[in-house]
Amino acid sequence: MGMNRRKLLSLIGMSPAILAGATAEAQSKAKNKNGRSGSAAEVKLTALNPRGIPPPITLIPMAPRLATLDGKTVYLVSDGFPGADHFLDQIANWFKKNMPNVTTVYRLKAGGFADDDPKLNAEIKEKGQAVIMAIGH
Amino acid sequence: MGIPAAPIVTIAFKDLAQTNCAKRGMPLQRISYTPHPVWGKTDEQMYAYLDGNDPVHNIPLMKEIVDSLTRPLTADESKTGTVTPPVGAPSFTDTADNLQQYFLDNGMTDTMPIIIPTQEKVDAMLKGTSHKPDEVVGKMTPAQGAFPAWSFTVQQCAVNAVMAGATPDYFPTILAIASTGISALFSSTNSLVSAAVINGPIRDKLAMNYGIGAMGPFNQPNATIGRAWTLMSRNLDGGGICGETYMGSQGNVINYSNLIIPENEKDSPWPPFHVQKGFKPEENVISFFFGFCITQGQGGKGLGVKPVPLYNVAMSANCSPFASLFGALFLLDPLVANGLGDLGFKTKDSVVDWLQKNTTVVVKDVKSMLFSGLPRGPEAAGLTDDSVIPKWQKSDAFNLVVVGGQTNPYHQLANMSYRVSVSIDKWI
Repeated sequence: MGMNRRKLLSLIGMSPAILAGATAEAQSKAKNKNGRSGSAAEVKLTALNPRGIPPPITLIPMAPRLATLDGKTVYLVSDGFPGADHFLDQIANWFKKNMPNVTTVYRLKAGGFADDDPKLNAEIKEKGQAVIMAIGH
Repeated sequence: MGIPAAPIVTIAFKDLAQTNCAKRGMPLQRISYTPHPVWGKTDEQMYAYLDGNDPVHNIPLMKEIVDSLTRPLTADESKTGTVTPPVGAPSFTDTADNLQQYFLDNGMTDTMPIIIPTQEKVDAMLKGTSHKPDEVVGKMTPAQGAFPAWSFTVQQCAVNAVMAGATPDYFPTILAIASTGISALFSSTNSLVSAAVINGPIRDKLAMNYGIGAMGPFNQPNATIGRAWTLMSRNLDGGGICGETYMGSQGNVINYSNLIIPENEKDSPWPPFHVQKGFKPEENVISFFFGFCITQGQGGKGLGVKPVPLYNVAMSANCSPFASLFGALFLLDPLVANGLGDLGFKTKDSVVDWLQKNTTVVVKDVKSMLFSGLPRGPEAAGLTDDSVIPKWQKSDAFNLVVVGGQTNPYHQLANMSYRVSVSIDKWI
């Protein structure tokens, strides 16, 4: 795979030690913050890894971009967190002032913040050309 | 969907958003950021965010958003294929001190020292169950829908059980917890907590404490079963990474070992909790709760009523600071449970019925909480601002469990909802 693996794995949130981690040695390089030492005379133990099994990640290519937003309909989608509706109102205002050829349509996504909304997705696919989605609070 | 999208997230959720996109297969998603928070800001303040810079990328926010929808994709942004996130080597070899440090540095503990999970100790733990080490127990995620669930085996649970200081006879209970896939470190910004009520003969077999100090740090199975739950919630699903998979704004001390509550069945006037849920008295069962917090103890003294204090009134009053997003889990000392009987409440249902009718709110005081996000307001439900309604619309929001040693007629109230009850016996 041609993608920068280190960058991807770093985005996945793995620590540098685990990124390094094909080694079976915890290494005596562990920080001695608490005055601990790794004297060669000390007995070594083997500890088992407590982690579970993450699923493989399928890379999803991003959708092709538009040449311009002029004349296009942009859906402004809220995931339902407090304030997202007002914030998206202000984005609609910004387009009116700065890019008046852009049509905006506000929608509240159904379900929780992580849930899919197939009905809204179908509407956007039929009537819209781009989405701006406000996530969180 | 095939339509270009530009997500906007407040800067407080930067790491969470980037990690989540990566875990969902879009590590290079074009995310724009606003200052935090958006919630509670005026329209003018929000517009100023749009006129200002993205605080992460330090470029004008709206220009960035328009650009992210129109700038052609790079080759990496169009990539397909699969990647498997690494979780480290199957084992680590070093001195005991260095292993402690290694586990700590790599986020595999609750920051307290652990029992080092050597093969010998893990093998001993595995003797606590008839299930095979490589059997897949279940799947767990820090937040359903938000993060892909990880799977895990009996052996991986055993490693965490050893780390927590559990003994092999506790292991079936720990496996029962794991089998539900319920993380004790839920990702929410709300600093949520988890509780588990244990019923059946296993409480005595393990010498669990359901008497004096039951919910304090005085009993090994109570404490280590709860700690194992937290460790599993970090290690079996990649949870508990602050800013990424754990977002609780203030955190909660209960997350160290959770609320493990063996019910005091012998001193309760009512059938045990698991029997309420359809299990037989002789079955060993663990029941799960989830929510905001637990109150301080509320005593029976000072209620000003003789000869029997009005425990029901005190219980209802104790609900006043709670929102209705989660339910009311009452943890009653046997003195309170039996006192309720003296007041005429002969069944749990009769207590719950009274509580639901008498724990009320005025619509205008809770309007935004009760009805925000719903398509219809209180008017559509035939209510006025002055209508008095039950705080909890359904009686199953109330749950009563008996625990304690009868040194004082106290109850504690957790703002928590019931989730599920599962068999422990299945994992012996």
